[in-house]
Amino acid sequence: MKELRLMKGNEAVAEAAIRAGCDGYFGYPITPQSEVMEYLMYQEPHKTTGMVVLQAESEVAAINMVYGGASCGKRVMTSSSSPGISLKQEGISYIAGAELPCLIVNVVRGGPGLGTIQPAQSDYFQSTKGGGHGDYRLLVLAPASVQEMADFAGLGFELAFKYRNPVLILSDGVIGQMMEKVELQPHQPRFTKEEIKANTPWATYGKTDDRGRNIITSLDLDSHKQEKHVTHLAEKYQAMEENEVRYEEFQTEDAEYLIVAYGSSARISQKAVDIARAKGIKVGLLRPITLFPFPKKPLAKLATQVKGILSVEMSLGQMVEDVKLAVECKIKVEHFGRYGGIIPTPDEVVAALEQKIIGG
Amino acid sequence: MENYTVERSKVELTKEDFVSDQMVKWCPGCGDHAILSSVANVFPKIGYRKENFCLVSGIGCSSRFPYYVNTYGFHSIHGRAAAVSSGVKIANPHLSVWMATGDGDSLAIGGNHFIHIIRRNIDINIMLFNNQIYGLTKGQYSPTTPMGSFTKTSPQGTIEHPFNPGELILGAQGTFFARGVDTNPKMMTEIMFEAARHDGTSVVEILQNCVIFADKTHAQITSKDLRDDHQLHLKNGEPMLFGKEKNKGIRMRNSRLEAVEIGKDGITEDDILVHDQYQQDPGLHLMLAKMAPPHLPIALGVIRSAMYPTYDDLVEEQIKYAKENSKIKNMDDLLNSGDTWVIE
Ligand SMILES: Cc1ncc(C[n+]2csc(CCOP(=O)(O)OP(=O)(O)O)c2C)c(N)n1
Ligand code: SF4
Ligand SMILES: [Mg+2]
Repeated sequence: MKELRLMKGNEAVAEAAIRAGCDGYFGYPITPQSEVMEYLMYQEPHKTTGMVVLQAESEVAAINMVYGGASCGKRVMTSSSSPGISLKQEGISYIAGAELPCLIVNVVRGGPGLGTIQPAQSDYFQSTKGGGHGDYRLLVLAPASVQEMADFAGLGFELAFKYRNPVLILSDGVIGQMMEKVELQPHQPRFTKEEIKANTPWATYGKTDDRGRNIITSLDLDSHKQEKHVTHLAEKYQAMEENEVRYEEFQTEDAEYLIVAYGSSARISQKAVDIARAKGIKVGLLRPITLFPFPKKPLAKLATQVKGILSVEMSLGQMVEDVKLAVECKIKVEHFGRYGGIIPTPDEVVAALEQKIIGG
Repeated sequence: MENYTVERSKVELTKEDFVSDQMVKWCPGCGDHAILSSVANVFPKIGYRKENFCLVSGIGCSSRFPYYVNTYGFHSIHGRAAAVSSGVKIANPHLSVWMATGDGDSLAIGGNHFIHIIRRNIDINIMLFNNQIYGLTKGQYSPTTPMGSFTKTSPQGTIEHPFNPGELILGAQGTFFARGVDTNPKMMTEIMFEAARHDGTSVVEILQNCVIFADKTHAQITSKDLRDDHQLHLKNGEPMLFGKEKNKGIRMRNSRLEAVEIGKDGITEDDILVHDQYQQDPGLHLMLAKMAPPHLPIALGVIRSAMYPTYDDLVEEQIKYAKENSKIKNMDDLLNSGDTWVIE
């Protein structure tokens, strides 16, 4: 039976995490995502599923609690907003290096620095290009609705365990704060001890007679071994590029122009497409759902069809670089964005399309 | 240290000189207003030039402080005010550096920097606004929230043991610790003046009421009917007496502090401890910092003010020593100090 609810994005990801069999959440308050932890605390999941919710002393503490929890083969997660996500980067790099699964949610606000508590998309580089040190990638999911906030909790855990890699849900203040109808998935039980033993042999569940010693680490002082380890990571990222690209196309069949946008910018751009079409402009929208792996192939294909691409982001222009790389600069690619907490209107997007792509 | 003195104002400054033109955005009735007023009162008394005060804060309601004081200010990073202040003071020792911070800012996310600034004993004055809650982010529990409190993130009551800031500060080898309440601006002003005079890191904890998210959290201490019995106002060299008639006092018995009534069971004023804020040994100061109602009154005023070399002084001494003992006395010495060649 369908279970429908009206929820904020922040509440939806929290509720969906409980239902996805999450074992532990570790967080620290920050606007505009404090509702994730507050919702979890009110649900008291320790009484129902046994999930633990802990308010840490900082974001650094929270991500390292995740590091610890993940090493036990458990489904663990944290959430924050931009300044707090910056603090987590050290832990994220180590978790990626040690090949542990976890879920991280970023409800982005404008930066740099303390910036603003209003929505932005200025953490794209940090999310997709590293953020912390070393050669690693996160699998990045970009929800454009409250429904996807909920759906990506379960999907995020699934992918994290599939690749033994941190998964990041890159949301923003609009998606986190707005209320929409959500269809919730039924409850999935938490992993049992037996399942952990069977499915995650790398996990710290105790040294038994049938098991060798296992040390969770991201260190190898032997550079040849370390190179081999990083090559192994690269193979994982390659596999993600082959198997996990997710995107959505809207009115691209006959499109002469294309808008590329993710998250709340995609919602705005979808309206812009309708407005432009009413004016007789044949424009379509490609919405990347995974930002890493980036939908390079569908973009390259569309580049043979359309005359120009407008990349719309609430930033100075970050994803636009990946769009240019995907189309190998064969056609015109421009960026349009508002930033510092300002959300562009669909009309502004249409005007930018006309000026920068069609007229330019 | 002659080198590191803060320049004094040539004209007499008043409270008005320190009030900024910014609109104060704290909630009406918030305890922060009284703290601001005390600071504006005390700054002109300290006598430094306005330009030589620097107010550093982290992030929180309390950390909005620098906007409201007409001096140089620094609204820095959540939890990092102690590190930023250290940088300011070390780079420019001629400033009188004041830090405004909250219980979340300094005891949760900033706990590490907070204990280390104290351990180094850098000459900075810290005002710790303790409202036992995260105000700015709308009411989650903090490391000083009393156990069992209901907050946004503890709907069934917190299960965490709170810090007593005084205990933490003295544990970190604090040389100055004082405690005030937002309901007593006169005492707050006196304490801050003493903090300013102290060489080294001075921490003033101010019990502050957040009317919105933790209203009356300090009511045990501040309410009209309880305050006389629940507050001990410490004065150096004076017996630790309290109560409306000042007929109660603190004595030491079996290595423990005890509240007693004078005249009862043969107790006289001679049994009552006399406060010595300057004593080096922190033992009694720690016991005083830990006192809390209902069995003991809370200690207010300057609890500890001990003389220890400051980081600033020691750095200066190092520089002086290096200057006196270095073979390099002038530019020529310097140029000829390493490998030198004569080009023919
Ligand atoms: C890195 C980071 N994490 C979280 C926040 C959000 N945040 C701002 S202030 C604050 C706590 C404020 O509490 P406190 O320090 O007690 O100050 P008060 O508002 O009570 O005066 C938090 C969690 C932030 N700004 N930066
Ligand atoms: S929320 Fe609380 S601490 Fe912040 S300004 Fe309002 S009353 Fe003061
Ligand atoms: Mg506080």
